[in-house]
Amino acid sequence: MAQYLLLLRDDGSAWTKMSPEEMQRTTERYMEWRNRPFVVGGQRLEVAGRVMAKKDSKIGVTDGPFSESREVLGGYFAIEAKDMAEAVALTMDNPHVDFGTIEIREVMPRPGMN
Amino acid sequence: MLLEEYMNEVSSPVLLEHLFRREAGRMVAWLAGQLGSQHLQLAEDAVQEAMLRAAQSWAFHGVPEKPEGWLFRVARNFAISALRRSARMDGEALIATLEASGADFEALEIEENLRDEELRMIFLCCHPELSQESRVALSLKLVGGFGVGEIARVSLAEEATIAQRLVRAKRVIREKRLPLAMPPRIVLRERLDSVLEVIYLMFSGGYAAASGEELIRQDVCMEALRLGRLVAASSMGAPRVHALVALMALQAARLPARTDAAGDLVLLEEQDRALWDRKLIALGFSYFDRSIAGEEISEWHVQAAIASLYAAADEAIDWARILENYDHLWTMTRSPVVALNRAVAVMRVHGAAVALAELEQLAGSPVLRGYHLLPAVRGRMLAELGRMGEAAAAFETALLCDCSEPERRFLRRQLEKAAAA
Repeated sequence: MAQYLLLLRDDGSAWTKMSPEEMQRTTERYMEWRNRPFVVGGQRLEVAGRVMAKKDSKIGVTDGPFSESREVLGGYFAIEAKDMAEAVALTMDNPHVDFGTIEIREVMPRPGMN
Repeated sequence: MLLEEYMNEVSSPVLLEHLFRREAGRMVAWLAGQLGSQHLQLAEDAVQEAMLRAAQSWAFHGVPEKPEGWLFRVARNFAISALRRSARMDGEALIATLEASGADFEALEIEENLRDEELRMIFLCCHPELSQESRVALSLKLVGGFGVGEIARVSLAEEATIAQRLVRAKRVIREKRLPLAMPPRIVLRERLDSVLEVIYLMFSGGYAAASGEELIRQDVCMEALRLGRLVAASSMGAPRVHALVALMALQAARLPARTDAAGDLVLLEEQDRALWDRKLIALGFSYFDRSIAGEEISEWHVQAAIASLYAAADEAIDWARILENYDHLWTMTRSPVVALNRAVAVMRVHGAAVALAELEQLAGSPVLRGYHLLPAVRGRMLAELGRMGEAAAAFETALLCDCSEPERRFLRRQLEKAAAA
């Protein structure tokens, strides 16, 4: 079994337009998905953060990432699957595709693990 | 292994049905109660933010043990930080109020306070300074916790229209400084009548709205029923409030039988009574009994009496008694809509010819202009009299008016039948 991270990106706008009832239904969809047996982890990230970058041997720290126009990383799920094809198949009905994009990346195994 | 760190146990109890919507209304009422009606927008923003955080955090981490308390706390904290940022003159005082209030949101005693806050909010939303359409939209939004899109769907209006109505209503509240308070004794009766009217408008909006929105429609009816019961249980619980609750419960009982599997309307006479909700019928009758305890006979009493005659019918509906009640209601209200309903009872009791003659007198009524039920009822009477050509023309006229999709399909079927005959 390999592990995969589903990187969830969105611009947050879909949520703000929802009614309380719709928010609840969406929450329940995520909760249901989160509890599937192949899901081994997941977290939601705060929007505000800092971006660090070294320039001319000096580390610059700026506010960001900015979400006004671009989709930002808003959270992730970690799942187990036998290969990428299965990871994709399992992710097909992840609710997040209705609100943003999902990037699936295999977690590199530690040396000696396989 | 790194990922095992993330393997936290996520419990996922299913959320209480309508939890977000219910709590949205209660939180806005509570926050606005603390901040005053001038800060309605802040209260709404804070509640929206709390629900957003709940949605995003619970989705990944599971539901906290006391979700209601969690929401209240987050909404209050958001309001406090928004006030800190705003540098308002009265900010410090408001922050102090919020900080002093409801330290323990999980405690049960908040329930009773909340009922009072909700009641005050209902009276604010139904303030006579606001237009009637605004009262309904505002009550659905602030008390019922419905979204703009949902309100638009049950009101058969555009989202932008509803949004505009809400903005305008809130501006009136701000500019005229309408308070979040129970009305003074001297205007209490009038204000209560406005509340009852809005609750029933809310109910009938839900009752009549288009199908395909089945859930939202029933939700709106049930919310109106809940508000009615809230008022009935309060110190405002006059007999006419009980009568209104009886009326809504008895009508709501028929909701499951009103449309067939295809979402088409089923006429009362053809409804499968086994589908009627027994619990709601029992509730309706118990409120009806309470409503006739006093001296007062209001419009709602008579309407509830009519609904009770339908609900009590085993096989044949007692049209003669229904007509008596419509006669009574007509004397009380002189409303053309009542006259139209009465004409249907007249048709059952005295035949279509008599009923049609009475209906023709309503033709010029400005209230009924553009109301699809006038030509629709006329079409049925004409069809019963075998005047199929005229009936078809009447159904065509009805189809030119605004009405819900199931009603439209119903009218089209009637039109086809009349045209084919």
